[in-house]
Amino acid sequence: MQIEFTVNGQMYNLTVSPTLRLIDLLREELGLTGTKEGCGEGECGSCTVIMNGKAVNSCLVLAPQIRGQEILTIEALEKDGLDKLQESFIKNSAVQCGFCTPGMLMSAKALLMKNPTPSEEEIKTAIAGNLCRCTGYNKIVQAIKDAAE
Amino acid sequence: MDKDYKYVGRTFPIHDAEQKVNGSLQYLSDMKLPNMLYAKLLLSPIAHAHITNIDTSKAEALPGVVRVFTHLNTPAKTYSRYRIVPDQEVCLEDERLLTEKARFVGDRIAAVVAVSKEIATQAIDLIQVDYAELPVLNTPEKALEEQADKIHSAGNLLHEFEYKIGEIELAEDCVEVETLTNTQKVHHAAMEPHVCLADYDSSGKLTLWAACQGAFGVRTVVADLLELSYNKVRVIKVPMGGSFGGRQEIIFEPLTAFLAKEVKRPVKLTLTREETIISTMTRPATSSRVRTLVNQEGRLVDCRVDTVLDAGAYATSSIDNTYVMAKKICKLYRIPYYEHRGKTVYTNTPVAGGARGWGAPEIMTALEIHMDAVAKGLGIDLIEFRLLNLVHPYDLDKTSQISLGNARVRECLLKGAETFGWSEKFHRWNIAPNQGRFRRGVGLACAAHKNGMYGGFPEHSTMTLKMNEDGSFILNTGLHELGCGTITSITQIVAEVLDIDPKFITTLEADTENGPYDFGSYGSRVTYICGACAYEVSQRVREKVLECASQIFQTPIESLENGAGRVWVRGDEQHSLSYREIATTAKLKYNTDIVLTHTYHGTSNPGAYAVHFAEVEVDTATGRVQVKDYLAAHDIGKAINPGMVEGQIQGGVQMGIGYALYEEIKVKTDGSILSRSLKNYHVLNAPDMPEVRILLIEEGGDEGPYGAKSIGEIAFVPVAAAVVNAVNNALGTSLSNLPLTPEKIIAALNARRDVSGMRYE
Repeated sequence: MQIEFTVNGQMYNLTVSPTLRLIDLLREELGLTGTKEGCGEGECGSCTVIMNGKAVNSCLVLAPQIRGQEILTIEALEKDGLDKLQESFIKNSAVQCGFCTPGMLMSAKALLMKNPTPSEEEIKTAIAGNLCRCTGYNKIVQAIKDAAE
Repeated sequence: MDKDYKYVGRTFPIHDAEQKVNGSLQYLSDMKLPNMLYAKLLLSPIAHAHITNIDTSKAEALPGVVRVFTHLNTPAKTYSRYRIVPDQEVCLEDERLLTEKARFVGDRIAAVVAVSKEIATQAIDLIQVDYAELPVLNTPEKALEEQADKIHSAGNLLHEFEYKIGEIELAEDCVEVETLTNTQKVHHAAMEPHVCLADYDSSGKLTLWAACQGAFGVRTVVADLLELSYNKVRVIKVPMGGSFGGRQEIIFEPLTAFLAKEVKRPVKLTLTREETIISTMTRPATSSRVRTLVNQEGRLVDCRVDTVLDAGAYATSSIDNTYVMAKKICKLYRIPYYEHRGKTVYTNTPVAGGARGWGAPEIMTALEIHMDAVAKGLGIDLIEFRLLNLVHPYDLDKTSQISLGNARVRECLLKGAETFGWSEKFHRWNIAPNQGRFRRGVGLACAAHKNGMYGGFPEHSTMTLKMNEDGSFILNTGLHELGCGTITSITQIVAEVLDIDPKFITTLEADTENGPYDFGSYGSRVTYICGACAYEVSQRVREKVLECASQIFQTPIESLENGAGRVWVRGDEQHSLSYREIATTAKLKYNTDIVLTHTYHGTSNPGAYAVHFAEVEVDTATGRVQVKDYLAAHDIGKAINPGMVEGQIQGGVQMGIGYALYEEIKVKTDGSILSRSLKNYHVLNAPDMPEVRILLIEEGGDEGPYGAKSIGEIAFVPVAAAVVNAVNNALGTSLSNLPLTPEKIIAALNARRDVSGMRYE
């Protein structure tokens, strides 16, 4: 099937299998490997991207669902230097192995796009679907808080 | 520690943080090589069976399939995934690349190599295997029954030992308390599933890009198995998405290397989460019966422990894992007589192996649940009782006869209790009525761990430090960054010694062809041992820099001073030389290269200590537990990078609360595995996680760089016991069968309604 969609501001018109997952399209077809696969079933959030302003697990989205949609991946977060969130993650030691980081950042970005001044509870809820095994989340929550202020 | 350092003791981000936040860092999962093929495994769906027939013809006929392998066309030679060095003892070689007998659900039966992942996966489904099923021995009890089938030919009791030390004292007027604690198999749950990539080139050289904790061990196992000399196997450590012991042993590299060698093309094996859970490694399940005698003053006089460790289907490190459990208790408490019996048992369950803390979390959980039981039984205050028995600085470790170093566990306990507000909380929840639906309680646990392998294994590390002509430096090491900030903290140490901005130092990770030898990143040895190596090699290079400067200045070294990347003659800072000038002049004028290789030998192994405090709230209607407040006090000697140290502790607490309350790889009686995905294996998420307050005791006094001691493993060790003790405190129960799931809590509450008084399980 043929689909038209936008990734990081660039329009694509591709012929793909209808069962192709968005994560594979990004990683395999477009070479955007910043989006990570940790479980393949929407439980870990490592593959989070923003689709029309909403954080989604790209392992659970199939090609037909992205027709006409606008997708943002971690590769688009940096514009004229690092995003405030990225800087805040670095400054707060919120990055360890880093495998969850892109997904975590995209969930946080989707939150801040909608709600620039979230409460701590709202932050935790926004990243509830993003698992991290290294940090215990404390520093990630702080990093998002700092970036929001 | 009065000295104000420039780089040590300050927070720096992990060295590759920028590449991690912009998604550009290439993990092993992201790597592709030209001409690369994809491997997929057939894992046994049956827990215990002989394979009577395998038909791979349909799989082989599928277009795009390159080769199909089973036990029939792979070496019958067995190996140990645990081996680091050749001739290492206690490395039972009971595993082969592809098995002829299924020993657990997840055992490797066949492998397909194909041009795409999809084709490899389709081909796996076309392989037909006939199994002759055998009785499933899913617990050590069943495996040890006399009539039990043998999982391996040598029998199901892998190993057993008895260890006694000290003098038995007369036990008059002593109180005896016995507890039994069970800990479960858990998944390391590193966020990146296991991946292997190997290539075998036309020159006969095998290269592995490995997300591993010990590149040299990978080389040893792969080269020995494939009968290649060590110079023909190159292992390059690459970025990994977490490890926690799960990538310590050499699990899929031998098979991937074999496949690449057979097909003479690069082969990549990427496991799914499910495959990672069932077929890699788990933390071992243990059962520990602790019996102590305590005298009227509250002093421990006698401690006897019986441990049974469930190794799963292959031995791996389980014998050593059982053995080290006997080496922990005497690092924490003064005990006149100590006795430990350990059994390691094969079962038809997922393979156990190295996991953060290596036996310490298992035995410390049992011990600290026991200590609470004793104190409650005797009516002694929980803190007073521990203070009476905890080790003191520079006590001897009874089991190793090595000094425990500047052991500040008592300070962790006292200062931690004060900062946590222990007395106030304890009284609030134990004196006032605590009978509503939501009940609160507090718990604490002390813990001891180690710093490297000295005393039990050879312990050394080698590094090469090279000065470039522009005055920057390259430190070549056998290190492995697991995501803990190792590279950053080692770089900080070098920067401090040379007094130069860390951005002018590049620290390299392990590469068996281009770098010096190191055992690997485990055993809480990296900061303490490798950090000391970095410190010493930097000192030597600094001396060499000063020697060159003394030639240039024509002044004795003693009259030189250095700082901020410059050297000058005392009193004449205006005419200083930059490192660039020294390095370049050394080359051009004095024909001198500033480069040194140094091997550091560990000669000590102090204790690493922590005391953790937890406040929990239990919903007695649902059995759900929430950790409301948490404080971790750590005797760390010196925090090289406090921000990353805090991250280690908070991450350890995340893992430990899961260990106490939720996480378990559940194996049914037929050997099938219930928790096969993150859907039914609960890893704590952000809303589950309390804020972890941290108290660092930094008193130095040991041989680590700038007095630093280990943190990554000890951070996890006391967590489960602190949480379990808090739940028991809230409910008046004596739960000790981990994890304390809602079902177990409700069952305990129901049981309590039926009986009066308290008994310890």
